[in-house]
Amino acid sequence: MSVLQRLQADFQDYIVDLERRMAGNVVGTAKASAAQRLDIYAEAYRQRLVEALGKNFPGLAAWLGERAFDRLGVAYLDNHPSTHFSIRHFGHALSRFLATDAPYRERPALAEMAAFEWALAGAFDAADSPCLSVDDLGIIAPAQWPVMRFRLCHSVRRLDLRSNVPAIWQAIDRNETPPPPRAQKTPLAWIVWRQDLKTWFRSLAVHEAWALDAAMAGEPFAAICEGLCEWAAAEHVAAEAAGLLKRWISDGMIMQFEWSR
Amino acid sequence: MSGHQHTRPYLGFGLGLRPDHYETVLHSRPAVDWFEVLTENYLVPGGKPLHYLHSIREHYPMVMHGVSLSIGSTDPLDIAYLRRVKALAESIEAEWISDHLCWTGINGKNLHDLLPLPYTEEAIRHVVDSVSRVQDILGRQLLLENVSSYISYVDSVMTEWEFLSAVAERADCLILLDINNVYVSAFNHEFDPRSYLDQVPVERVRQFHLAGHRNLGHCIVDTHDAPVIDPVWELYAHAVRRFGEVSTMIERDDKIPPFKELLAELDHARRIASNVRAEVAA
Repeated sequence: MSVLQRLQADFQDYIVDLERRMAGNVVGTAKASAAQRLDIYAEAYRQRLVEALGKNFPGLAAWLGERAFDRLGVAYLDNHPSTHFSIRHFGHALSRFLATDAPYRERPALAEMAAFEWALAGAFDAADSPCLSVDDLGIIAPAQWPVMRFRLCHSVRRLDLRSNVPAIWQAIDRNETPPPPRAQKTPLAWIVWRQDLKTWFRSLAVHEAWALDAAMAGEPFAAICEGLCEWAAAEHVAAEAAGLLKRWISDGMIMQFEWSR
Repeated sequence: MSGHQHTRPYLGFGLGLRPDHYETVLHSRPAVDWFEVLTENYLVPGGKPLHYLHSIREHYPMVMHGVSLSIGSTDPLDIAYLRRVKALAESIEAEWISDHLCWTGINGKNLHDLLPLPYTEEAIRHVVDSVSRVQDILGRQLLLENVSSYISYVDSVMTEWEFLSAVAERADCLILLDINNVYVSAFNHEFDPRSYLDQVPVERVRQFHLAGHRNLGHCIVDTHDAPVIDPVWELYAHAVRRFGEVSTMIERDDKIPPFKELLAELDHARRIASNVRAEVAA
């Protein structure tokens, strides 16, 4: 290990793990001791990363309150230090951390809030996609419909949530009092996506969630119709599927039809 | 008086582009000569950041300023990151690309801080080698900025300005001279900030930064959350006397005020530079 490597390892250990070894490598003065000087870096590290986490998860931060969110931020930072060039990416594992670590796992809605906000952040700066318009459906020949597959826009994210975190998030976002957390046995399906520059989210009925998941998995239109028979009479499924497709297109979620793979 | 390079590209007086001001900039087209954009904020696939970046670029020249190059880290360079930086620079036709003479982490970690290097021959060799490789990948000269620091290493064998100048000369790179950082480090390490400026090679300096800071009494911390203070303006005047016309911008990253306040602060920089020019001409 070179002298520079050793010095950087000691300095990083001081900042991240508060290992005091580094103090011997630093000049203390009458103005400030070596430890006081190093502590500026150590304190700024925690403060900066927790603040960044708060910006990436504003709903969770407001919901938990400043002190509880600070505790969470430091605990998360200790377990998942940033390894990405962008601080925007800090928090990618927060939902998993909340779902698996005590005491947070006792409140599953917290992990769901983090997952929801991470989906919003992902949709916000996902790659731009050229979207189809409903008129594009008009030029599809009848024979092409059954074998037609769909490529969804890059921003589309699917979530299944047991709790009412989207309503809580929305209230916080509007500076209103959030509703009390509620959980249901069966998760509700949600989508988050961006149309032009605006990020949207909405819940999906069970049949729509199934159809969208099938479309995202690359299933052709005929297979989607067949699957929808579970919820609709056979003679209505084609119209039902076409209706869903129309809505996805007008919401700006479909970028391309494909006929071969 | 040793400055006044007429061959140095000169953009005038700029500001940092921040999301709070996207709409104002786009719709009122304020009298700013150019914008500096934070590189990492635009290394995203799409959406609002890139939309505003490209829309505003249509009206203003831009330079890129990164925080994650970590040129002094003993970790290997992140080549994938550098390729993305290069692609972004090409897409906005950035006038130049800068980052900091520092390291931000090792063993794959990013502490998202600008950590100082020891001023040693070993560190110079390490940084010079990395800068050469970065410049090869980017296909252009890099600007390195002097950072604020709160510690001095026992190992250091030279001054910060000797270190900065040696890196710039030996790696054949350019300098983004942060006047506030010189002031902050001079306070923290008790040296004369004018001596620092007087010994940086004039022809290497391509850009100036100005910013506010927070004085804790025992140390000054570089916070970019307040207006530039008078002693830093005085140091800026000294820098203009020495370096001549250098593209100058004001950084504000926290407690971001209405755009017109930053414009007024930028006008103050313009006045100082023009007074110095008049004084030199007289």
